[in-house]
Amino acid sequence: MKSRYEAAKNVFVDSIDIDDYIELSSSVSAYKQLEHSMDKPLKMILLFGRPGTGKSILLNRLAEKLKHQKEIHYFDTPATNDKEFFHKLFKVLTKQDLPHNTEVNFSALVNFCKNLRGKREILILLDEAQMYNTGMMEKIRLISDSRAVKFVVSLHKTDDEDLIAKEHFQSRIWEVIELKNATQSDQTAYVHKKLLKKNLFEIANSIKEKDMKLIHAYTKGNFRECNKIMFTIFEICEYYDQNEPSKVNYEHIPQRIIEMAALKLGYIHV
Amino acid sequence: MYDIKPLEEEWKQYKKNKKKPYLISFIVFILSFVSIYSFLNYKTIFFPKISNLNSSENTKLKIKKNSSILLDNELSVIQVKTQEMIENIKPIVKLKVEKRIENSVPTLPVVDDIPVLEDKPKRKVVRKKLNNIKVTRKKIEKPRKKMHLNIIESSSVGAYKDVEKRFYQSHDTDDSLFLAKSYYRKGNYKKSEYWSLQTNKVNTNIEESWIIFAKSKVKLGRKNEAMRILTNYLKHSNSRAVKNLLYQLKKNK
Repeated sequence: MKSRYEAAKNVFVDSIDIDDYIELSSSVSAYKQLEHSMDKPLKMILLFGRPGTGKSILLNRLAEKLKHQKEIHYFDTPATNDKEFFHKLFKVLTKQDLPHNTEVNFSALVNFCKNLRGKREILILLDEAQMYNTGMMEKIRLISDSRAVKFVVSLHKTDDEDLIAKEHFQSRIWEVIELKNATQSDQTAYVHKKLLKKNLFEIANSIKEKDMKLIHAYTKGNFRECNKIMFTIFEICEYYDQNEPSKVNYEHIPQRIIEMAALKLGYIHV
Repeated sequence: MYDIKPLEEEWKQYKKNKKKPYLISFIVFILSFVSIYSFLNYKTIFFPKISNLNSSENTKLKIKKNSSILLDNELSVIQVKTQEMIENIKPIVKLKVEKRIENSVPTLPVVDDIPVLEDKPKRKVVRKKLNNIKVTRKKIEKPRKKMHLNIIESSSVGAYKDVEKRFYQSHDTDDSLFLAKSYYRKGNYKKSEYWSLQTNKVNTNIEESWIIFAKSKVKLGRKNEAMRILTNYLKHSNSRAVKNLLYQLKKNK
């Protein structure tokens, strides 16, 4: 017999599935800001925030929403070297595959982009841009100078990288959009909406404000961490539901289970 | 989920550790409370003897107060008994006994202030009376012992000094007369002479003071002087007691 918690657990499997996108007040404002920035004559837009703040899903949603209105391309995985990146870019710009055993001539590519100015407006969304080296970033900037290609660069904001990112990008007049960790109310809405989307009303109702306070304290409002802890909570609930039903309360998730999940994920220690 | 049991154990340990600070802070709170309490009451805790002494002093005071009450009670018992007895004894004795008892009763407030001085003679008077009247002693034996204890413990010198000091401030003839009488009873005739003189200086109409003054003079070997003083006093007063005293002095001459 299937546990009621199995479906709940699967809701929180971490993915960048556009169907799982939850509109929250913070993400809506970030989306609008990004959409507005793209209409400006800006060459590059920087989207940054800590891992798990929803950068990737925001870019994904943007690409999905504007794909019929604009020439928009989402580069989800960063190229490990110049050659691979320019192969991809060549394909996007020329709409043709690069012939086998050939390499992209960068200056010729820049000239090609300059020729596209006024004719086409191409928008490229670069996810995980922190993995591009400085040289490659310089080449991206030169391409963006053609004004035919706009880049939305998504960067991880970590303690070390934050400084590098700021120094690197502040020399250029770019729009900067920062995504922050969710507030407790945003995170509560996120969890509830996710469960309700899958018609898990009773389970959503069993997660009280007090529980969300604890979860928010453990995850610090990070959506990825939130997914992880919710998954683990429901995994534990599923086990008890199937093996020791007396230890699970269907009306209220026991604090013990939340703490056990936090222990398992290393948010708290013995 | 295969690791649920170790996870449960880990959670139990986590809970234990989480409770520790609360437990420690509770213990610290209790300890600090105890230490503060003991600091504030260190005298009582670390010097119990002192407090005991104080308490014994208190009990002494209480005893003193009680003794006066006992004396009251005792006297009332004696009065009742004596009245019963007196009916069968000569009328002179009855008068004397009643008079003496009546005299001793009003002096009780003074006994409260300086219990030693006032109690001692009074007890003697009572005892004498009891001997004369042959009242059963057994019943009043116990409170009498308590009275003796009080008399021994209190410092007579200090008490006299206090009264003297008070007299110099207030010039109250009750105080000076009390001192004169007390010193006379004690046999300190020089002082009784001095204090009766002080009384007479403040108020020349106190018969008792003149009598003590004269008696003190007699005891000091100045009988003529005493007689002269009494004669002069009789010029202003018609005191029977003074007349009697003068008569006795003349007779014994």
